[in-house]
Amino acid sequence: MATTDTRRPPAPGRIALYVTLSLVALLMVVPFLWMIVTSLKTPAEIASADTSLLPTHWAFGNYADALRAAPFATYARNSFVIAASHTVLNVVFASMAGYALARIRFRGSEFLFYCFVAALMIPTYTKVLPEFLIVRFMPLAGGNDLFGQGGSGWLDTWWALIVPGAITPFAVFLFRQFYLDLPVELEEAARLDGLGEFRIYARIMTPQVKPALTTVALLTFESSWNNFLWPLLVTRTDSLRVIQVGLSVFKTENGTQWHFLMAGTTLATLPMVLLFLVGQRYFVQGFAHTGLK
Amino acid sequence: MELTRRSLLAALGAGTAAALTGCGAGTDAGGKADGPAEGEITLLTPIYEGADGKQLLEGKILKEFRKKHPDVKVNVDYTNYTQLNEKITTALAGGLLPDVLMMGVGWIPPFAAKKVLAELPESLAAKYDYEERVLEPSRYQGKLYALPTVMATRLVAYRKDHFAAAGIKKPPASLHELRAMAKELTKGDRMGIDPFSIDLRQCWETFLYANGATLFNADGTKTAFTGARGVESLQFFKDLQKDGSADYTKKTDGDAGATTNLQLGKASMMMTGSGLWKQLQEQSPDLIEKDLIGAFVLRGRKPAMLTGGTLVCQSARTQHAAAAQALVAHLAAPDNVLAAAAQRETVPGITSLRSSSYVKSNKLVDFSVRNLKDACAEGGTPAWMEIREKIKPTLEPAVVSGKSAAAAIAELGELADAAISRL
Repeated sequence: MATTDTRRPPAPGRIALYVTLSLVALLMVVPFLWMIVTSLKTPAEIASADTSLLPTHWAFGNYADALRAAPFATYARNSFVIAASHTVLNVVFASMAGYALARIRFRGSEFLFYCFVAALMIPTYTKVLPEFLIVRFMPLAGGNDLFGQGGSGWLDTWWALIVPGAITPFAVFLFRQFYLDLPVELEEAARLDGLGEFRIYARIMTPQVKPALTTVALLTFESSWNNFLWPLLVTRTDSLRVIQVGLSVFKTENGTQWHFLMAGTTLATLPMVLLFLVGQRYFVQGFAHTGLK
Repeated sequence: MELTRRSLLAALGAGTAAALTGCGAGTDAGGKADGPAEGEITLLTPIYEGADGKQLLEGKILKEFRKKHPDVKVNVDYTNYTQLNEKITTALAGGLLPDVLMMGVGWIPPFAAKKVLAELPESLAAKYDYEERVLEPSRYQGKLYALPTVMATRLVAYRKDHFAAAGIKKPPASLHELRAMAKELTKGDRMGIDPFSIDLRQCWETFLYANGATLFNADGTKTAFTGARGVESLQFFKDLQKDGSADYTKKTDGDAGATTNLQLGKASMMMTGSGLWKQLQEQSPDLIEKDLIGAFVLRGRKPAMLTGGTLVCQSARTQHAAAAQALVAHLAAPDNVLAAAAQRETVPGITSLRSSSYVKSNKLVDFSVRNLKDACAEGGTPAWMEIREKIKPTLEPAVVSGKSAAAAIAELGELADAAISRL
């Protein structure tokens, strides 16, 4: 018996979709390719009017030279410690807050939720100075007395780098939306089995919101890794500076060393690309879910 | 009004600092500088960046300082110019202002007016060989608050080969000549002049000064650029574009290290900075080898070379005034200025350094040092930090669209007057 080929040619709409998506993907990837290619060119080649797409002389030495321009190993370690700390703190505490706002009825929970929503709308830069003052006048820290006077508070310490901004209103909001979506039967069954509130949160409900956990973890790590202004403001010593501060040495008011800047940026981008590749499935799910709410 | 991150922070910083300096931990008046130099002090610097800069500052300059002043320990806080204002304003609000600060030209009046900076003895102004014009940005209300270290100038660079081909033998002696020359040099897609590849604010200021005007009156309490000369300076850009000898859409980000139209042969003249030489060395060494790049000071009613740079000053709040003042003098000493200038390929602000091998090796730096008598600086009012952010966005519409130069200047004048009135 002759077999019939069940595959049908793709519909024109599907072809148009793939073409469009390919073009968008290309547009997204071109800046990264440009960054990598530029990092391997000499300054003369970058400046040349008739420069080719690929380097004529592959200047791999740019990477070694860029790394020598600042203590990048220390900066990368610091960035990692801060980003990892922020990620853990945000995932743990924001999920608890999100769970409480979604599943526990208490007086003022709606108001509290609206406060979080309102906090989402405060521009980051308007918070810099108040946060700086809180850190500076932190009681009983850095030589300060009970009233925050006499010392430098948390300035130039890991506390200043990690505590402010560790938990974000966006993460609380995201977790709340996910927890709201879980069936109430799950919670009731757990209660009938004698589980307390914390165990319901930790053992029953939180494993159901893995996309939210991954999304918050990735976004937190990314924004923390790329943070520049706050670490610069609250630190003084080189041993506490972060990778973005290190990259800024290639851009002075006298000009930019593009070959070094691109080499350093390529290296600084790698951890983020790897993280996204590992967690992209959950990440996309997380956003899709939030968008549906 | 455009709300930018920088303006938001500046406003916050200024407001909160003003409110808090009255009650913060840093309210104590600073000590006097007549005692022995001793104690632990902090230096905030936007220069000496990177491993090379750090080695120069901590491995050489501060090491020598320590030999002279063994009882002084210096902690260095490195930042960059983009975030310097934020660093200073947050530190001020927190009452932990560094003992010694390095800041830009134009920044002294705003911070001196807020009593952030300590007055320096006039003897320091005479200690090294300064052109009086170089010292002007270090003063506020006639008092000395800072010493210059490294400078960066704004000048006109030109292609000698284009000039030779057009039979032009000497640079223009007036703005009228400059316009005619730019027209003559325009060929095909080559612009006669590219005035737009540096920051529009600094470019317009250079033309304003060359036109014989100033930004503010002598005590910085009134705008002085809203007259006919200020309008003419902006109108000049529109006229160049009308002639077809300049094109705003073809500007490159020369300040960020992008290849300039002059290097590419797409412009015969270009407003640029002294930092161009380093860029030529890295990107277009053949132009140096063939001696194809020349420079001249912009000339209108008078010659004008806009000069920015880094000044070093002492905090008014320091508890170790003698140590801080000693460090200010040390950082501004000729040897240390020369070393910093060489590391950054910038212009040393001391006239006697013109014979140094570094200056001689960099033609644009050499040119700048020889012409420091024509130096002019931006700023001059305590409201400068607010006004400087508004110049470019206010003037740009006149350059790129049909807005008249008079209307743009009038609008800028109103914004500047409002900023001054809030002082």
